[in-house]
Amino acid sequence: MQRRVVITGLGVVSPIGIGVGHFWRAALEGRSGITALRPLADFPLESYRCQIAGQVRDFQASEFLEAGIAERVDRYAQFAMIASREAVRDASLAMEHETPHRVGVIVGAGMGGMVMGEREITKLYRSNRPERVHPNFIPTITLNSASGLLAIQHGAKGPNLTISTACSSGAHAIGQALSTIRSGKADVMMAVGADASLTPLVFAGFCTLRALSTKFNKTPSLASRPFDRLRDGFVMGEGAGALILESLSHAKKRRAKIYAEIAGYGATSEAFHVVIPREDGADMATTMALALEDAGVSPAQVDYINAHATSTMVGDAAEVRGIRRLLKGRADHVVVNATKSLIGHTLGAAGAIGAIASVLALQNGIIHPTLNYEQPDAGCALPGISAKVQERRAKVALLNAFGFGSNNAALVFKKWR
Amino acid sequence: MALKKSPEKRPEQSAAAKQVIAALGEYLKKDERKLAATLSLREDLGLDSLAIIELLYRIEEVFNLSIPDEDLEKLQTVGDVIAYIENGMGPKRSAATVAKAPKTKKRK
Repeated sequence: MQRRVVITGLGVVSPIGIGVGHFWRAALEGRSGITALRPLADFPLESYRCQIAGQVRDFQASEFLEAGIAERVDRYAQFAMIASREAVRDASLAMEHETPHRVGVIVGAGMGGMVMGEREITKLYRSNRPERVHPNFIPTITLNSASGLLAIQHGAKGPNLTISTACSSGAHAIGQALSTIRSGKADVMMAVGADASLTPLVFAGFCTLRALSTKFNKTPSLASRPFDRLRDGFVMGEGAGALILESLSHAKKRRAKIYAEIAGYGATSEAFHVVIPREDGADMATTMALALEDAGVSPAQVDYINAHATSTMVGDAAEVRGIRRLLKGRADHVVVNATKSLIGHTLGAAGAIGAIASVLALQNGIIHPTLNYEQPDAGCALPGISAKVQERRAKVALLNAFGFGSNNAALVFKKWR
Repeated sequence: MALKKSPEKRPEQSAAAKQVIAALGEYLKKDERKLAATLSLREDLGLDSLAIIELLYRIEEVFNLSIPDEDLEKLQTVGDVIAYIENGMGPKRSAATVAKAPKTKKRK
């Protein structure tokens, strides 16, 4: 019998709030975190095709982190540190009572330390002075900088890994944390998804890839509209989500409060195309099926799906096809929402923030709205999607996360008691 | 839908047409003489949405212009691209007809 794993702590930094309380309240109220783009490193922005984003506003790292740390780590790592500190506190996890080698960290990050990365590259190419590249450049852009920092911050000496699978990074971080605990290599894992790559170069890249919404530049809050007929691409966001996973026996021993059980994980590749999903959703369906099987749950038991749903034409439709393919008639009876409708696509953070929304939905029996779902699209309609808050005593939640590189992940959460 | 190979030889190609064909030939590593205006980018030339975006990126560079996302759907054939450039990039087609058409594929 494999070890059961539960979630005992949550933390979030998002465009609709820093801290789980703020995030959840804003989510239930259906507040949009998408606004006109704020300056990126004083770079002129007029010529960008997309003019909007889900940015974490009024954020001063020094308010949250000790002096000497805040300014020396990249923005995505600041987010990761703030979210995971909240999660550790929320879990009442006292490291002095833990065996350090039994507590690990897995961070999912799609882009990593791009803020400093871009700044230093630009500086070097303009100045031609290699001696002026900041000595902290390498430690910052090394993709595992956040997971290393979290270990140092908390004294977590267990397995320490970084997963980079683009937009599914956060979900894989949770899935791999689950596997680590099940395999007995750790008792507690911090699973974190984080990205903050709204930089002039990365943003330009997503623009020229024509992945972003461009029709709603004048009305930013309407731009992220998963499943809606008028959707026209995703809106870039930034943030971090952190979850404390621990074995059930460990949680019971220390009498931790339990949000939900993390019961299943599916991971596949479509082996198809670097950025285009298979339109039939077949591999997405397989991924969800694997996660359900892993959780010992049948498709007919699924109550709620936190969809990947980025608000792109093809991606959303493929996901609905995948859901229908797997759930058959049950697809008309599940409630579905898209956290990206609120905060945009936070890339590596998306799966982790979506997981937090899923866990809170199970705990509270409330599903946050999918903003801007106004006109169903015949190609990707499900009756359970709504622009309004939905009450549902869901027992089983499924979370999807799909990434560039043909990458798919799915997680299954079960309501606790 | 696919208007198969009826290489409509246009005796006098405009400079823009020549440049588009040249850019296309270079991108596809294909003989320019085989690139008829009637060929569809997707079905006949086998380009997926990312490849079309890459091709248009090249066209934007050659002609020093920026093609807005909402115009992508108009550019289905080699001839559409040529016409788009010849008409000074903004063919006066109403935006309303475009709004209905789904944009190209992309996700994530």
